[in-house]
Parts: sequence; C-alpha cells; structure tokens
Amino acid sequence: MASTSNLLMLQLLTFLQVLCGNGGEKLLLLAEGLLKKHIASHSLHEPEAIMVYISILEQQAKYGDALEVLTGKLGSLLTVEVDRLRIQGRLLARAGDFADAANIFQKILELRPDDWEGFLHYLGCLLEDDSNWCTEQSVDSIHPLRKVLCKISPLADELFDSRISIASAFIQRLQEDSNNKLLRGPFLANLEIERRKHMHGKGDDEKFLGVLTDYYVRFGHLACFPSDVGMFLEVLAPDKKTELLEKLKDITPSTSTISTKALGQSITLLKLQVLSGNMFHLPVSELERCVVQMAQIYCENLPLSKDLDPQESMHGEELLSLICNLLVELFWRTQKCGYIIEAILVLEWGLTIRRSVWQYKILLLHLYSYLGALSPAFEWYKLLDVKNILVETVSHHMLPQMLVSPLWVDLSNLLKDYLKFMDDHFRESAELTFVAYRHRNYSKVIEFVQFKERLQHSSQYLVARVEEEVLQLKQHAHSLEEEEVTLENLKSGIPLAELSKEIPSKPLKFNEDFESRPWWTPTSEKNYLLGPYEGIFYCPKENLNQNLEVGVRRNVERRSLLPRLLYLSIQSVSTSIKENFEISQSDLKISTELKLLLESYAKKLDSTFEDAVELVTAVSNGLSSYKDFGHNLVDWFSFAVFLSAWNFCSAELGGKDADGYQSRTWHIVDSLMKKYISEAVASLESVIFSPYDNSMRTLVQVVSEPLAWHGLILQACVRSSLPSGKRKKKTGSAAELFSSPIFVAVRDSTQSLCTTLEVLLEWLKGLVNQSEESKLEAILSSIRNNGKNDGPGQVFHTLENLTSSMSSTEVGHRITEALKSWNTVDVARKLVTGKHVMLNEFIKICESKFKSLQKLKQQISQV
Amino acid sequence: MTTLRRFCCNDLLRFTSVNLDHLTETFNMSFYMTYLARWPDYFHVAEAPGNRIMGYIMGKVEGQGESWHGHVTAVSVSPEYRRQQLAKKLMNLLEDISDKVDKAYFVDLFVRASNTTAIKMYEKLDYIIYRRVLRYYSGEEDGLDMRKALSRDVDKKSIIPLKRPVTPDELEYD
Repeated sequence: MASTSNLLMLQLLTFLQVLCGNGGEKLLLLAEGLLKKHIASHSLHEPEAIMVYISILEQQAKYGDALEVLTGKLGSLLTVEVDRLRIQGRLLARAGDFADAANIFQKILELRPDDWEGFLHYLGCLLEDDSNWCTEQSVDSIHPLRKVLCKISPLADELFDSRISIASAFIQRLQEDSNNKLLRGPFLANLEIERRKHMHGKGDDEKFLGVLTDYYVRFGHLACFPSDVGMFLEVLAPDKKTELLEKLKDITPSTSTISTKALGQSITLLKLQVLSGNMFHLPVSELERCVVQMAQIYCENLPLSKDLDPQESMHGEELLSLICNLLVELFWRTQKCGYIIEAILVLEWGLTIRRSVWQYKILLLHLYSYLGALSPAFEWYKLLDVKNILVETVSHHMLPQMLVSPLWVDLSNLLKDYLKFMDDHFRESAELTFVAYRHRNYSKVIEFVQFKERLQHSSQYLVARVEEEVLQLKQHAHSLEEEEVTLENLKSGIPLAELSKEIPSKPLKFNEDFESRPWWTPTSEKNYLLGPYEGIFYCPKENLNQNLEVGVRRNVERRSLLPRLLYLSIQSVSTSIKENFEISQSDLKISTELKLLLESYAKKLDSTFEDAVELVTAVSNGLSSYKDFGHNLVDWFSFAVFLSAWNFCSAELGGKDADGYQSRTWHIVDSLMKKYISEAVASLESVIFSPYDNSMRTLVQVVSEPLAWHGLILQACVRSSLPSGKRKKKTGSAAELFSSPIFVAVRDSTQSLCTTLEVLLEWLKGLVNQSEESKLEAILSSIRNNGKNDGPGQVFHTLENLTSSMSSTEVGHRITEALKSWNTVDVARKLVTGKHVMLNEFIKICESKFKSLQKLKQQISQV
Repeated sequence: MTTLRRFCCNDLLRFTSVNLDHLTETFNMSFYMTYLARWPDYFHVAEAPGNRIMGYIMGKVEGQGESWHGHVTAVSVSPEYRRQQLAKKLMNLLEDISDKVDKAYFVDLFVRASNTTAIKMYEKLDYIIYRRVLRYYSGEEDGLDMRKALSRDVDKKSIIPLKRPVTPDELEYD
C-alpha cells in the first residue's frame, strides 16, 4: 500500500508543480480523480495528504467538496485546531458563505485573541467584503501590502451598522476577557472598525482620534507603535493629524522624566511626527531645534541603559537613526554638507557606544557611499555579516555602488560569494525537495519547487551573472592577450548574448528587502539627494519593484551583449588588417553579426541604429550635448567604440575614399572621451564633499569600459599590422599599410587616448596629493558653528557636551569607557582615507591603461 | 497582535530585520530547508499588522523512548517587537505541539553559558539547567542544556539535573 500511496503522491505533486508554472484545469481534475480512487481503496492517513486533497479541490473552486473533506473523518487528521479552522473559514468565505465564515473566524479569535489576520478575516466576512479572497493571488508574498486589503462594504447602511455593532461588542468582550496587558490585537481592532466606518461614509473623526489616543496611552511606549498605526493615520486629513499629534503631546510625560515608558512614548511621538509628514513642513531652524532636542533626550536617558548587557538594545537607540534621517533631510534642503558629516558622526558615535546596531550600519554605509568613501562603506557592510539567504535580500545595499566602483577585488568577492550561494542552493534543492517528499510533507515539496524558481528568476542573480563576466573583462583589459584568454573562457561572449535574447520573456523576481533602505534612496536606482529638494521626506515604499523592472531588464539586456560585442570588435579589426582590407567570408560573417548586435544594443538604448549613429556623431561634433545621452552615457560611449570597430571593417558608414572614411568614426570615439573627461575634471572641484554618483562614478566607468574596450581594439589593430613569422601580408608592404589613413587613425587615436588619460591622471594625483590636514579641516569646519545657534554641528556638539559631564556612576563603566575612546578626528580621517582608497584604485586602473597605450605608441613609432 | 503561522520558504526572504540582529544566526539553506522538510510543525513565524515579521521559532522532535523530546533550535525576535513576551508565545507554541501532537516527554534547548539574559528568560519560562556541555560552542564556550518537562513525563524525571558536566560527544542527539 505504501508504494501505491507514494506513487500517487508523486503523480499529484508532479501535476501541481506543472500547475505552479502554467495552470491547467484538466490536470487538477485528473489529480482529483486519482485521489478519489485512492481514498476509496486505501483512504488517506497523513495530514499533509489531506492538505493536498483540499488544495486540489480549492483550486477548482469546489469549496463545498473541500469543506466536506475538512469537516469529515479525514479532516480529523488535522490536529492543530486553529489551522483547521483557518482553512474552514477560508473555504466558507470563498464559497460566499460569509455568515458561517465569520463564526469560524470568531472561534479563532476566542482561541487566539491576538490573531490579527483572524480579526481582519472576521471583520471582512461580517461586512461581506471579499477583497481578501479574490486578490490573494495577485499580491507578491515577498513584498506584501502594508495596508489592509478591503473595499467599501456592499451592505446597506442599517445592516452595516448592525454588523459593526456586533464586531465592536465581540472585540469589547475579548478586551475584557484578557488579563494580558501586552495583548494589542483587540485594541487595534477598534481602530480598524473605525477605519471601515470612515470608508463607509460613517466615520467620526473625534471618535477615531479618541481610539487612537487610547491606543497610544496603552501601547505608545512600544517600538512597534508607529508601524501598528501607520495605515490608520492615512485616514486622517492633515489638520486632524496635527490635532492628534497635539493631543498626544499633551499626554506624553515630560522628556525629563527618566523612565523607559516615558522615553518610549517620546520616541513614538517623534516617529509619528515624521510619519504624518508634519516634520517636513517645519522651517529649517525649527527642524534643527527639533533634532537638537532629540539629541538631548538621547543623552538624558543614557542612564537607563547603564546596567544592560552589551548584547541588548539600548533604550533610545532609535533616536540616533531618527536624528540621522532628519540631518540628511536638512542637507537636502540646504545643500550644506556639514549636515551629512554630522549624520555620519552621530552614527559612528552611536556605534562606538554599542557596536551591533545594524540600523546605524546600513545608514552609515549609504552615507559613506554617497560621498564616494566606498571602503568604509564596505567595511560596515561586512560587519553586517551578510551571509547565506541574506545575500539575496541585503546585497542591494552595497552591490550596486560596487558595480560602478574601482574596488574590483572587493566587488569580485561580493559577486563570487553571491553566485556561489545561489548556485549551491540550486544544486542542493532537488535533494531537499526529496527530503520533504520522503517525510510526507507534500505542501513543502511544492513550496520548495516554487522557491527555487523564484530564486532562479531573481533579477539580482541575473545581474550578478552578467556583471561577473563583465568584471573579468574589465580586470584584464590592460592586455589584449589576457583579454583574449578571458574571452575564450567566456566562450567568446556567446552564452551572455544568447541570454540577452531570452531576457525580455523571462519573469523577473525582486527579492530585495527595500524596507531596510534609508528614505533618501528607497531603491538602488533612486537617490533623492542627487536631485534638487522636492519637498518630500516620507516616501511611500509600496510597489517599488514594479518601477524597477523595466530599467533593470533593459540594463541587463544591454550589458549582456558587451562580451560578444568586444569579441567581435577585436576579431573584426584583426581580420580586416590581416586581410589588408580585402573583405573575406569570415569578415563578412563577423561584420554582419556585429552590425546585428549594434542594432540590438541601440534598441536597448531606446534608439534605432541610424539615430544612434547620428546622436554619437552629433555629440562628438559638439552639435548635441552629453545630456542627450541621458543616464546611459557610458553605454552610449561603448556603442560608439563598437560602432567604430564595425565601421573599420565594413566601411558601411561611407565609402573607402582617400580621406579614409572608415577612420572618421574613430575620431568620434576620441573626441567623446577627450571632451567628456576634460569637462568632468574641470567641473569636479571639491573632492571631499562631491557625491560619488554625480561625476566620479561615470569617470570610473568610462575608463573601465568604453575607453578600455577602445584600447583593446587599438592593440588588436597594431598587433595585426606588425609583421611576424606566423603572419604574412598577402598584398602590399608594411610601409604602405603604415602610411595608410587607417593606420594614421590608429596612431592618432592611441595618442589621443594617452593625452586624455594623462589629463585625468594628473588631476587624480592632484586630488590625492592635497594635504590630508586641509581635507580634515574642511570636514571639521563644516560642523563648526562657532557659537551660533544654527547650521550644521549643533546636534553633534549637543551629544558631545552632554555626555562629557556624565560619570561612570550615571551611565555605567562600559558606556563611559566607550565615550572616552571617541575621537571626532578619527572619523573625519576615515572619510578622507576612504576617498583616497577609491581614488588610488582608480589611479591604478588609469595607469595600467596608460601604460599599455604607451607601449602601443612605442610599437607604432618603431615601425 | 500576532498571527502565528507555519514558516514557509518565502519567509526566508522576509526575515531580514530579524536576522540582521547580531544575536541571530543566519544558517545555510539546507539547514532551514531540512527543518521545513522534516519538522514543518516546529517552524513557526509571528506576523504583525502590515504583514511584518516579528520573529520566528525553529525546532524539531527527536529521541527514543523517554528521550523523545521537542528541541528548540532557534528562537528570534526582531528588536522592534522585543519586550512583548513574543518569545514566550513562540516557545509555548512549540511546547504545545511537542506535548499534544507528538506526545514528547520534554522540550530542551542549548544556550551559551555566558548569555545570562537568555538564561534568565528561559528560567522564567520554567526551563531548568539540566546539564552543562563543555566547550559546546565551536570548542570554546560551554553550553547549557535547559529542559522543561511536558505532561507525559509525569514524574518529571527528564529534568532532574545531571551532577556532572558532559562533553559534546556524550550528547545523544546533536
């Protein structure tokens, strides 16, 4: 019997797995038939088998049949009563029997009065609102909605009132029955009831404020209070929110009352001010005053944490995160860099007192990244101990900025660790699925298959696979020979080029935890600080991944073409010169493929091939501006580089005339690089405070990619031109070739790149060689307020001053010792060093390119 | 305000705020998935309004004869939801399943001997120190094996403390 049972379950699971991907009523019907037959002969003996049976019936909307199974003999196999009731309530609600479903959910609440989901289902069924049951499939289970899914009840007014009264009375009873002071559910339920009344046009603002205030009195000291009530605040009009905050302020104990409850309530009040948007309406001076006040509250309450174990969270810890967020807001409004420096100091200070506050580390790594001090940012990232599944959900804090940084060794480790984790899981997954099957946990079998699929479709995984190969190319781009070996290992870029074709039809999944990102950069694609102040502070984070998808897809489609484009470009110039510009069959094939890829690349830049050629030509001639390239400047440069390689071999952009039209496209590349780099160098004055993303990032990318690709193509030209034992020119002498317009263009282009790199190197070295003291002074003076009561620096000085007088008896030995070890200059130096590390790495990259171009120049001159 | 439900694979992508805390270990995938595959009733998650993950518990049931017991492998609560007795709620759930569904004799857990905060918490939940396990953690720090007897252990034999410490290789199940 066991083997029959196993075979049956295997068949069913296979069907269900197929259905996970495609859907198909017939398979479900078949599965149901098989099970029925099995039950008739052998019955079912495992709770998980019952779950599978019910699921098969439910997916076919056979709710009545499913209920019959659940409430019959087989249903008794489900031993956890609440679990059984949940299924029963769901089936009844889906069948439209709201009255019975409400009774079932009421039973769940009687067993577990704090069950919030149970309450929402109970209320939804009482009000005959089917939102929870209809849309369940469309909600992304990884990023569920923060708000409650509901719609206006279809009930007539009188019936609605009566149902609401029933719910209120029941909730009242739950509140009275419980002695547990920490039971929040039945009290928050009052708020949900009031919200539904509002939706039905029967809201009473005063009552709503009253219920919110009661909830605050009872639970306002808890850290989770703001997230509990966040969705309810949205019901209130702005003036009512202000009224509420005033009301709460009146009942909040004075901040000088040192008690954990009073501190908790004060913090909650501050968080609510932020959440309600009231904080961002304050003028700068008032906002500053408010932040200073927060620092005072933090210091005054430090004694509360005196006896805590260093492992435990300190009381008031969240204040420093709030302070940081508001200081960044002040920076965004005023553009005074001191506020950013101050935010860094506040967080570093907090981490000196307690090393393990991950929220500070995340904020800090984003602040350091913003300023281009990527090495301290990466250090804090490493201290987050991101490993195993966290690499999928947390890497987005660091990976995107590393991808455009010169810190290639760290980036390589990051990518390797990530890919290893994913690939290991894909390898182990089948075995683990089998373990679930062997232990007859059939629902887990399906879950495991779906989970593996989700990870396989991870957008981050796709990006990492492509970027890992591109990084290898970047790392070896100083030498043509090394690059050719790399390209060979990458199978001449064919797999990624094929992947690029598949990407448009691939489902992409975003598994990143964006909730943990700071407000100013809600996704890796967005950073408000890079643009002008928009008058917002609180940014709703719902559905961010939907906006991300198009951009990510396009970008990765484009990037995956790079290895093949590079390979073909090198091949095309090499064979052209070897064949002395006589187009052979192999040339033609390369040229055709290169053209097709260029067309595809242009399309992924939202352009046609012809328009793309026109645009790069116009920008290089100064007829259009770099701004016309939009955010994809680096990709446009790469397009120009590969275009010139293709034209070199095909000469399709003009005939091969005496001017050497083929070489004109080379001038486009030279001119694009030269003009862009010299303009960027001239515009970047203060290196300490300039955001990395504004110019430095593009400079790094231009040198690491298009300029590097072009350098390799030049190397290929020269290598093919040089006579060697193995290669013999079919026609024409070497002298003829070297005096040809093409070769002159190679020489000129090499010279042009050398000169451009020289300018860049000189500028970079100048930045690094500036005295460290002057940079430290620039940082420290940005927060020196010289006794004034405004501007950056007040908050940090408040922290320093108030804690300097605190004794060990007040705050304990550990905190005292930590405070003693603090040194502001050390943090400023960390920032300076961090920027230097990045600059030095960039210099190394530039120097390696410069060296190989110098070598090339030498080879050319020796001809 | 807590919805307690079985932990599922997708929760691995949602427990970041719990696991970024330095006190919570992030295990490798096969570890989590083996628990899910073998003991899904012992792996539960607590959700707050807005579907936020508050914390979770993972464990197993193992042993033979009177050693048949529930084991708490990890219990973690996000800092935002601490000081609300959530760990107690999760522990009670696991104890309930060990007691009523699997009819185990006791529930046990291991804790670092230096983690006085956690030890105090477990003591409040009626766990007693059954024995000390020498150098249990990476061969460096001692662990304490704490136990709580369930209804099947009528005479509470399972929680009579051992007088001498044991070494990790003397443990019946590890």
